[in-house]
Amino acid sequence: MRNRERAHYNSFFYLIFAPALLVTLFLTAYPMATIFYDSFFRYSLVSNTRTFVGFQNFSRILREELFQRSLVNTLVFTLVASITEVVLGTALAFLFKREFRGKRVASLIVIFPMIISTMVICAVWQTFYHYEIGIFNYILRGMNLSPVGWLTDQRVALFSIILVDIWQWTPFAFLIIQAGMGSIPAEIWEAAQIDGARGGQIAMKITLPILRSQILMVLMLRTLDTFRLFDKVYALTGGGPANATQTLSFFIYREGFKFFNFGRASAASVITLFGVAFMALFYVRSLLGEED
Amino acid sequence: MYRLRKILNRAVYALVIVFVVSIILIPIYWMINTSLKTPREVIDPIPSFFPRTPTLANYKAVFKSGLWKNFSNSVIVAVSATLASIILAFLSSYALARYRFPFHLNRLFLIWVLVVRILPPIVLAVPLFTIFNRIGLINTLGGLIVAFQIYTLPYSIWIIYGFLKTLPKEYEEAARIDGASPLRVLVSIVAPLVRSGIIATSIFALILAWNEFLFALLFVRSPRLLTLPVVIARYIGEYTTQWGELMAIGLFASLPILIFSNVVYKKQTEGFSMSLK
Repeated sequence: MRNRERAHYNSFFYLIFAPALLVTLFLTAYPMATIFYDSFFRYSLVSNTRTFVGFQNFSRILREELFQRSLVNTLVFTLVASITEVVLGTALAFLFKREFRGKRVASLIVIFPMIISTMVICAVWQTFYHYEIGIFNYILRGMNLSPVGWLTDQRVALFSIILVDIWQWTPFAFLIIQAGMGSIPAEIWEAAQIDGARGGQIAMKITLPILRSQILMVLMLRTLDTFRLFDKVYALTGGGPANATQTLSFFIYREGFKFFNFGRASAASVITLFGVAFMALFYVRSLLGEED
Repeated sequence: MYRLRKILNRAVYALVIVFVVSIILIPIYWMINTSLKTPREVIDPIPSFFPRTPTLANYKAVFKSGLWKNFSNSVIVAVSATLASIILAFLSSYALARYRFPFHLNRLFLIWVLVVRILPPIVLAVPLFTIFNRIGLINTLGGLIVAFQIYTLPYSIWIIYGFLKTLPKEYEEAARIDGASPLRVLVSIVAPLVRSGIIATSIFALILAWNEFLFALLFVRSPRLLTLPVVIARYIGEYTTQWGELMAIGLFASLPILIFSNVVYKKQTEGFSMSLK
């Protein structure tokens, strides 16, 4: 009797765990296995043929200028955007450490950008960046400077997209670092003040080292998220001008959904996955490293 | 001298705060401003900071062109995806928190869920497109609800698991001794105890699903099935200077979400930070 009840109880747990497990495997494990498999084939949806080609997809893609461009752009975007966001977010958290009137309302407003749809944000910035009727060039003209092709100049376009990302996600860095600051006991600051430390010293020598893991965590989440850049490129530049804003995700999108070269799209996906895995390992090691 | 410095200090501080808040608010204000302008005023090279002749024509135009349909698509998809995720996540997290599965399945699954969180979704989109096409999920709202689980399910599992893990077992054991079935314990004892966590998780999942763009773009083609973010993207591409209408849609797509900013702020600082996109 007791055994039967136990078995009944165990099967209950299997039963409630199975749906989530199956959905997750179906949506992630199976597609990932497919990518690795397909990356060794010349496989196009148009001709619907599948020919084994070994590593040919990889060797060709890696030598293509467009892919190299996408890789460099992605790395530039990831580095510049995520580091700037973390630095500005930390600065904001220090700024909001003090009490002031309207702090609550100000904090609420600060998080608006991260909960609004990226497409809405892109729509607004698109109007700002417009060459003839955008507000940025209006200001430049007002200062007697020549207007800039924010989204049409090859040297500028990527940084225009970076600026949008910074506007959107600095609040995220701010929130997490602010939460980290809130968990530092007040005694630490009091002790430092009694010992005669000044504001700047307290920030550099006490607060920042304590916040190290929070900062690393935000940096990790932001690098992994910026590495997948797609939406903003799609909405703002479409990869142009002259491929100046091509990214890895956009490359995969074009191969897969414009040209239906699933083999090549899969190979590019595998390369991207290795990039993500490399970054994740790097961060996990530095996050765990400090606990030793 | 000291007092003067203090006043000056405070003034500079206030200015910096106002500056930061304005940087955030200007684009949002600009959206409202532009949505109330006439098409002629929108393309004026000298931008006006207040609509000269405020009009609701843009709002009327976008609703006439069937925006309600897209709005309801967004609602249906976001709410269903959230509900599905919350149910799946609640059930599985409870099993993970209370039962040791063989082969370290508990830990493996939780790590895998984190891995999913860091994958670029486009990587999954290519193979999933083929599979969804085969089983008839392409160009359906149901397909989007399934695809959105890629974002909402891992997120919900991690948060709800965190709540359940810290829950003391005594209540459940007491109920079991009184003869309650496992399902009964789950529904009447455990669920109410983590209610606030589930509500907060739902709101975050709702925001993720409401704003999702990639799968909504790739897996749905018919105009009457599009969700709001894709409608906006199409507008940006096709009607380059119909900004008044574009901003009207944008505002319409943002308002339902901004209502939740209070909850996001409170819960995010309580350590929800990890998983929001």
